Amino acid sequence: MRPLRFALAQGLLLNEALAALRAIDLDVSRVDGDGRQLVVRSGDVEYLLARPSDTATYVERGAADLGIVGKDVLMESGARLLELVDLRFGACRFVVAAPKDALERSLDEYRHLGSLEVATKYPRVAEEHFRRRGIAVEIVKVAGSAEVAPQVGLADWIVDLVATGATLAANGLAVVEEIASSTARLVANPSAYHLRRHEIAPLVERLAKWAECR
Amino acid sequence: MGSQPRTAIPAPPRGFRDILPTEARELRAIERALSDSFTAHGYVPLEPPMVERADSESVLAGDRLMRFLDRDGDLVVLRPDITTAVARLVAQRYRDATGALRLAYFAPVFREQPAMLGAEREYDQAGVELVGPSGALADAEVLALLAESLSRCGLRGTTIEVGHVGVVRRLFDDLTVDAREVVFADLRRGDRVGAFTHARDGGMGDAAIERARTALVARGRDVEGVHVDGVMELREVIDLARELHPGEALWGVPNLALMPELPYYTGVVFEALHPESGFPIATGGRYDLLLGAFGTPRPATGFAINVPRLHLALFASGWRPSRERALVSLIPGSDPRQAARLAARLRSKGVAVAIGAVAEPAGVTVVSAEAIDGERLRLHGGRVVACDDLARELA
Repeated sequence: MRPLRFALAQGLLLNEALAALRAIDLDVSRVDGDGRQLVVRSGDVEYLLARPSDTATYVERGAADLGIVGKDVLMESGARLLELVDLRFGACRFVVAAPKDALERSLDEYRHLGSLEVATKYPRVAEEHFRRRGIAVEIVKVAGSAEVAPQVGLADWIVDLVATGATLAANGLAVVEEIASSTARLVANPSAYHLRRHEIAPLVERLAKWAECR
Repeated sequence: MGSQPRTAIPAPPRGFRDILPTEARELRAIERALSDSFTAHGYVPLEPPMVERADSESVLAGDRLMRFLDRDGDLVVLRPDITTAVARLVAQRYRDATGALRLAYFAPVFREQPAMLGAEREYDQAGVELVGPSGALADAEVLALLAESLSRCGLRGTTIEVGHVGVVRRLFDDLTVDAREVVFADLRRGDRVGAFTHARDGGMGDAAIERARTALVARGRDVEGVHVDGVMELREVIDLARELHPGEALWGVPNLALMPELPYYTGVVFEALHPESGFPIATGGRYDLLLGAFGTPRPATGFAINVPRLHLALFASGWRPSRERALVSLIPGSDPRQAARLAARLRSKGVAVAIGAVAEPAGVTVVSAEAIDGERLRLHGGRVVACDDLARELA
């Protein structure tokens, strides 16, 4: 049987994820976020570095057994996997934001035209939110920098992921409402979680303790 | 890659594919093994239609169904599973039946899938439904039948994880019905973080939460440490199933972490897992609520095997279908009448004969033989052999 494979999301969460793994005595010294080696074997565990949304895909399909990835990524991907532990780092929020001075005008427009245009990198989260709220919107998917969309007339509102809110403020946007908050999660492929419980359960337990003590 | 056609030949729509002869032969072998196993336990075959009315009860969300309007303007659906069709059929045809109904099927099902996930929209499901009996022996019957069926196909190293939805439900007894539904929706999605957050919000105490947390990681021996009604029943079902099908050691493992995605399960549930597959090969369990939705409340249990996943796991662990007898590719000589006579004679002795060259042997050994006269053939290496001798050699 191959070694237990642990997928780690590259980017903002990686350093804290590695710190968490070090704290439970896993050797991650050879895992380097800037390096070119994306699969690193260390002891009984193989680490796999991947783009955040790919991390969810790898774990869902069983190419990796465990993963550390943001709840935001899980919500947008819709991947079916087991969310085992809230690791309590990488906090951010999904919010709806609108131009500070034009909130009233856009609501008028909603009453008039019956629909709002919402630019976002997270169409799934946005669509689900507005469907639940019963608000008719047209989603405009962008690949980056949704916060400029209202300024240049691409959309009325945006749905974006914010940590501090500084980017929104710099672009003259204010939060209309919060959709969900997000932190990093320890996730597992369900079949692997069942079949390799004796290997996975101790890691889960130690990471849960570690997260609780923070 | 061979010659390029001059115009592009359209491939089948996304998620549908051709099953070519070699694979089709392997699937036939699997189908034979499964249906022999089902028959041996008294299950009779059932073939519901491919299309059902879309307004009837469904186990899947609308966006997972392949629906369309027919010429009458009715919204119809390509069946997403067989269990729902069985529930409808029992309500229509076996409404007053009192005994046990044992039904088996091997049939394609259709599920809508998002693009770019490499997921199939059509695949074969094989399974059984046991309608009528409840209790440990009925649960054990179906569980053992799954284990035996997989093993008859030649699959080794499978474990069947056995959980109990009722036990999990009792862990959250402190909650109001509404709060418990929220927690259960989280658990069905696999979101344990959300489940425990919502349980706490719903007023569940620390001790009860800790108890649930411990129970939901219990697998194997650890399950005995969980003191909730139903845990003993779970053990009893597995013990009985091992009596019915001894099989490999420890093929059935109690596992309270098991929580199926579909909401209609009520009692013992199970999944067949294999190290070669990232997804369950088969899922099943007791679903006493589904038949009630069709107006015929009746206990029921069953399982469905995902045939492509079973096939992949078998193939990855080195399985090949048992060899069929060789096929003679009979090349006619100058007199077609003599070739026809030779072919008829070989076939009458049980030898498969194709006249002319064979482009797709589908993994079957092909013996090429040229007709010399009405009696003799020349084999590929030049050896001349009498018709009856060849039949004897290939028998």
